[in-house]
Amino acid sequence: MSLLTMILKMSEGLGKTCAIFFLTLLFSLPLGMIVALLRMSKNTVVSSIVRFIITVLRGTPLMLQLLAVTYGPYYLFGANVARNKLIPVVVAFAINYAAYFAEIYRGGIESIPKGQYEAASVLGYSRLQTFMRIVLPQVVKRIMPSVTNEVVTLVKDTSIAFTVSYQEMFTIGKQIANSQTSFTPFIVAGVFYYLFNFIVDRVMGRIEKRLDYYK
Amino acid sequence: MSEKTEHAPSGSAPILEIRGLQKAYDRVPVLKDISFSVSKGNVVSVIGPSGSGKSTLLRCASFLETATGGDILYDGQYAVKGGVYAPKKELNRFRRLFGMVFQNFNLFPHYSVLKNICEAPLLRGADKEEIRERAVSLLKKMGLEGKENAYPCQLSGGQQQRVAIARALALEPEILYFDEPTSALDPELTGEVLKVMRQLAEDHMTMVVVTHEMSFAHAVSHRVIFMDGGYITEEGPPEQIFGNPQQERTKKFLSNYQK
Repeated sequence: MSLLTMILKMSEGLGKTCAIFFLTLLFSLPLGMIVALLRMSKNTVVSSIVRFIITVLRGTPLMLQLLAVTYGPYYLFGANVARNKLIPVVVAFAINYAAYFAEIYRGGIESIPKGQYEAASVLGYSRLQTFMRIVLPQVVKRIMPSVTNEVVTLVKDTSIAFTVSYQEMFTIGKQIANSQTSFTPFIVAGVFYYLFNFIVDRVMGRIEKRLDYYK
Repeated sequence: MSEKTEHAPSGSAPILEIRGLQKAYDRVPVLKDISFSVSKGNVVSVIGPSGSGKSTLLRCASFLETATGGDILYDGQYAVKGGVYAPKKELNRFRRLFGMVFQNFNLFPHYSVLKNICEAPLLRGADKEEIRERAVSLLKKMGLEGKENAYPCQLSGGQQQRVAIARALALEPEILYFDEPTSALDPELTGEVLKVMRQLAEDHMTMVVVTHEMSFAHAVSHRVIFMDGGYITEEGPPEQIFGNPQQERTKKFLSNYQK
């Protein structure tokens, strides 16, 4: 198999790689905020439960969580394994990344000085207005570097979908590598991930720059 | 009423009245039994050693801290009665009566100067053009003409504090609290801020100022309150407090400021 055919075949999986990437961000970024707010709940029962869930999600491999989401229903209830593997992949990824984002959000929210809340209170802002207008915009700026880190990691983590044979770029590459007894597909995959992250880095850099108008 | 002031206009309730106020943190009392009132147009300075409860007093009056006992009345109406707070809705109504200027300014860093000043009135339904004009004229009064589009990080501490004063004034409060407004500033910047505060006093703005600036307290206030250990241990006109203090503790404290 020529290098070009390899690249073309693997490119066919890039759409699915992108699907995992964008859908995971789409769901995990807001879900992370909900988890963060529950984690910071004054209700200690709620906050301890959420805290425990976060430690499990962060303390066990994403690969294991993916296997659990994909095949768990079959072993537990004899349910059919999803035909479209994209669904369990995105569910597992979104939940896992939400846990990480939640901790990033929490750190950001807790870093906002108390004086900001006090000024807002005296000026008559409601709690929701204070959060949406005063706290959240400042949190977004503060957490951008950590979020960029997670997004870069997510690009590479999409390869974990090969464990459930979802036909994304890396899975196809691994199949070619097996059938052709060649290492070249892995090098191709490496280049793909690097280029992907090159773009991610540029985009995130631009967003950070746009938030640079204040200290 | 527990006391009278020579400046009280007869027949009208004081804008702020505090009776037997108590505040404890984890059973450690900070305010033990505070009573005083402020009439419209008066400037009251609160002085005293660190840890005497001066800031806590302002923070209770502005509902940033929850008092554990006593009464707080605005315009003769109970906001807190016997340590029990009025419903949230009513407290929000009382909140419209006062403004607060903090030691650390607490401007919103992601907003321009203009937005810092205008957003709160806009959220209360003020007219956009009207509030903008008011903001511009307030900035002019603060000596900050042309700074509308600057961000707080581009301003000196003294400028930031004057923006914070403009922000508080934009809501047209009946009474303005200052919590050590110049303690984070060097002497030169302190002067700028005290100048606008003096100007406000001349315009008959009602103010309660927690401060370590004795010459300001002496020159500008109608009444000075000396606090120590959670009590008001002495109060009176500035001439008395600074010229002829009655209590040993007051004398000792003020001797540190004699230059």
